[in-house]
Amino acid sequence: MILQLLLNGVIAGAVYALVALGFTLIYRAVRFFHFAHGAVYTIGAYVAYTLSSVWKVPFAVSFVLASLTAGIVGVVIERGVYGPLRRRNSPALVFLIASFGVFIFVQNLVQLFWGTRLLILRVGGGRIYRFLDCVITGTQAAILTSAVGLALVLWTVVAKTRAGKAMRAVSDDPIAAGLMGIDAGRSISFVFFIGSFIAGAAGTLIALETNLEPTMGLSAVLKGMIASIFGGLGSIPGAVCGGMLLGIAENVGIWKISSVWKDCISFLLLAFVLFFRPKGLFGGAGG
Amino acid sequence: MDYLLHVIIITGIYMLLTMSLNLVVGYTGLPAISHGAFYGLGAYTSALISVDYHLSPWLGLLSAVLVCALVAAAVALSSLRLSGDYFSLATIAFAVVFYSILKNAVGLTRGPMGLPGIPPFSFWHWRLVKAWQYVLFVAFIVSAGYWVMLRIVNSPFGRVMRAIREDVIGAEALGKNVGKIKLSVFVLAASFAGLAGSLYAHYVTFIDPSSYGVMESIVLLLMVVFGGMGSLVGSLLSAAVLVGFPECLRLIGMPEAVAAPVRQMAYGLLLVGLMVWRPEGLLGRYKWT
Repeated sequence: MILQLLLNGVIAGAVYALVALGFTLIYRAVRFFHFAHGAVYTIGAYVAYTLSSVWKVPFAVSFVLASLTAGIVGVVIERGVYGPLRRRNSPALVFLIASFGVFIFVQNLVQLFWGTRLLILRVGGGRIYRFLDCVITGTQAAILTSAVGLALVLWTVVAKTRAGKAMRAVSDDPIAAGLMGIDAGRSISFVFFIGSFIAGAAGTLIALETNLEPTMGLSAVLKGMIASIFGGLGSIPGAVCGGMLLGIAENVGIWKISSVWKDCISFLLLAFVLFFRPKGLFGGAGG
Repeated sequence: MDYLLHVIIITGIYMLLTMSLNLVVGYTGLPAISHGAFYGLGAYTSALISVDYHLSPWLGLLSAVLVCALVAAAVALSSLRLSGDYFSLATIAFAVVFYSILKNAVGLTRGPMGLPGIPPFSFWHWRLVKAWQYVLFVAFIVSAGYWVMLRIVNSPFGRVMRAIREDVIGAEALGKNVGKIKLSVFVLAASFAGLAGSLYAHYVTFIDPSSYGVMESIVLLLMVVFGGMGSLVGSLLSAAVLVGFPECLRLIGMPEAVAAPVRQMAYGLLLVGLMVWRPEGLLGRYKWT
């Protein structure tokens, strides 16, 4: 029983980790809470639904297209809203509130387009694997492998490529990076693209397991925030560990109490972390 | 006609909510996103006291204010140590947990089914059931609330509130107990939200969790920002415009399935536009720091 709960936790945690990765990456570059990240995630899920369930595009293709769409939406938000705010030297709170505005706008745009009813996206047969008296469905296995794959790709991009190097430079010191000839605006747009891309991917993956509703982004972005604060804001390994720990804590937590209290478990955890170690597990880099 | 009176009553309740949140956000500079939760806490406390224990709605109102003050003190004690974004996040966390309790603690709150049959206020045997009576009652409370809050912000205490917003360290250096003042403002605002919640519950006589989600708290923040940071008159104006505007959408005959998201989208755009062009709001004088 406990093993099964752990496994469920790891699968939920993998998706949280993806959302947290995008969130933390963006936070590191721009130093404010990009709340609209949740709306980007919702867009990813709904675009994948339309492509795959309505237009019958193969799932792998719609997965990529949906993530790309999410990435583009992320860049549009950055260019259209955050860019002008940055030129006005707005404080972080103004960004946060503008971000709420974007979140509300996009969520309701989704509601206007797709309606409020629950949508269901299911792909493939219900193949079931068993080991060590645990059960894992084919979909869950696919979620887990794609999440791990994406996290690795992301890490490679940030750590090994030139664009990743520029991104890290801009995050550490935008002025010095500018003096070295790095175009900060382009680099930040790139961060938004990558971060939103994986948020869209996470939305698509979770859509395979649960239902879609326009309000799904709120809980996702809150979990992503909690996971990244848990791991230390701005830290990539921190986001992955934070997401995993959050997923495991929620799923092991419901061993004894009803599953409707999942949200409360994660927020209690947040309160605990903020109280005793606001820097998070891998804190320091994010600060 | 009754419909117009209904809109006026709801506007009055939102005026109380917006003004009181302005004390926290606009005057003291604390970006709290939990006011909708205190509004709901007040509504539920007042309703449960009078439905489950058959006590007078007036006792319900009193306990709504007290419970909100107590809970706000607990929330403030744990979250006021955090600054800026983190404080916002902690208050969102409270709002989410509160909503989850409303929805899931079925034994206490009746869950998503809602709570019907809330008795109206009455003066001796004279029950406040007609809309025009309630308009007068709400108008009286809003004016009294405005007067009290105006007195507060113009008092020396109000000056310290503004000092905290402008420069926390400066205020501390002058020997002001910043933590205690932030706590008092937060508790005071939450008590007003509790009052507003009680007014709402005994007016509509049916409440359910869907009115008290996180979005409600964000919309209240929008109302404060729109009217103006640190301007009570701005808050009055903003509540009137932002409560009245959606009703106009209904009047031009837009179906509810379209009107609801369109209204929210307009709120979203308004919030973004304000942040870009006028972050201090219409009548506000102070910018975010």
